[in-house]
Amino acid sequence: MAMASSEKAAPTAGIFAPVVRLVRRSWLFVLFFVGFFVAWEGSVLVFHIPPYILPKPSDIVVSGWVDIDKLVYYTWITGSESVLGYLVAVTIAVPLGLAIAFSSFLRQTIYPFFVSLEMTPKIAFAPLFISWLGFGLLPKVIIVFLVCFFPIVLNAILAFGSLSEELERFVRATGATQWRTFFKVRLPAAMPQCFVGFKYAAINATVGATIAEFIGSDQGLGFYIQIVTGNMRPDLAFAGIFLLTLLGLAVFGVVTLIERFAIPWHISQRRAR
Amino acid sequence: MASGIEISSAMKVYGEGADAVHAFGPSTLTVEPGEFVSLVGPSGCGKSTVMLMTAGLLACSSGSISIEGRTVRGPQTRVGIMFQDNTLVPWRTVRGNIELQLELRGLNVRSYRAKIEHLLRSVGLQDFANRYPYELSGGMQQRAAFCQTLVHGPGILLLDEPLGKLDAMTRENIRRDLQALWLDERSTVIFVTHSIEEAVQLSTRVCVISPRPGRIEKVIDIDLPWPRDLAVKRSARFGDYAGEIEEIFHGYGVL
Repeated sequence: MAMASSEKAAPTAGIFAPVVRLVRRSWLFVLFFVGFFVAWEGSVLVFHIPPYILPKPSDIVVSGWVDIDKLVYYTWITGSESVLGYLVAVTIAVPLGLAIAFSSFLRQTIYPFFVSLEMTPKIAFAPLFISWLGFGLLPKVIIVFLVCFFPIVLNAILAFGSLSEELERFVRATGATQWRTFFKVRLPAAMPQCFVGFKYAAINATVGATIAEFIGSDQGLGFYIQIVTGNMRPDLAFAGIFLLTLLGLAVFGVVTLIERFAIPWHISQRRAR
Repeated sequence: MASGIEISSAMKVYGEGADAVHAFGPSTLTVEPGEFVSLVGPSGCGKSTVMLMTAGLLACSSGSISIEGRTVRGPQTRVGIMFQDNTLVPWRTVRGNIELQLELRGLNVRSYRAKIEHLLRSVGLQDFANRYPYELSGGMQQRAAFCQTLVHGPGILLLDEPLGKLDAMTRENIRRDLQALWLDERSTVIFVTHSIEEAVQLSTRVCVISPRPGRIEKVIDIDLPWPRDLAVKRSARFGDYAGEIEEIFHGYGVL
């Protein structure tokens, strides 16, 4: 019976096919997701938890909808800070990683410096940048840049420095020029490891922007969450957190999508197809 | 056009002083144009070192190697090399990988279309040209790697245990293909293996290499008819050759 029904379901295809496939594959997750919020709503009702401690999900939606204009605008602000800082980090870190991978001078000087800086919580610099540069966009972009830069540069160094011995010899035996070798072999070979850094940094980006806003700002979701919490409005704080989650998912999702197009041949992508 | 290789007292020592490792030689060997010479020896005897030195990817510590009368200094673009781990890149299809060899050499891919088709057909991969390496079995990958090595028509082939990681049945199969290809083209081949049977089956001559530091201890002419099919392999003379080589290794205590 089960086989017959799945055989019949296959040709329904059309535009709903991806949705049907998603539900069929992850209905357990959907069930858990819905169940979580139902349990939350129920617990608040059953245990009479006061709304200034923990609001019901339904209240969060209602209050959030009232303040939606501000929330969307602030999402845009935090999103811009995250994306700008991230893009600057990628633009600087990849070429620098490449340079360090191929220069023994840089590997002995700047590389150990980067490794020790990687151990420093970058966010500790945030108050300094705010005091130097004020409340505007720039200090946030710099802080996002800092939290994104190191994972990208360290993974890029690893990526460009680890071509297999066989490939290295194969390429040398062809007598190919450095440029040709780079574009035909080294660059594509380095992509999977680079994307490890890109994805890690994508997660860091919104976290960095939010904390930077906590420390000093007059707009953005981090700012918003801090203000509404001070005003005893955890329902609005949760609405802000929900949008931050969406923002983080969006940034990570875009990077993952780019990865899928950039390196469809890589083992990390094959299972998805 | 096949061409010869001259190895003159070539030796390799890795490192310096007390840490130095004497990897190979000094040994001398002349490989005539069109010959198929196997180097057989226990692992760690410096077989691969000879390969790398001949390819110009590793400098001799003393002595020299010359190809077609020219001393090897730096990578030899005229030779085709193949390693135990193939050099197929995962982001290109089988055809793309074969073309990579041409592209890296700055050759016109289009003028090699027919050659690529011919090679693919000769190893039975004509229906897999547009597959990615990960979609192929280990044996098929190695066949694709053969095409990649041969596409630009190198007169000299240096094959460093290209069948080392394959199962016995696949090995036997590819051996037969390799022999057919060689009988067809008569290129000069140096073939590294640790399989005595493989060496006897494929070679015009077999060089027996001693354990480290590896030296060419004995060169045995294999006088068996071509092609060396199952009947030849079952013949008494085949067994004699294999036995003779086995005896030598037995003497070293490695067999």
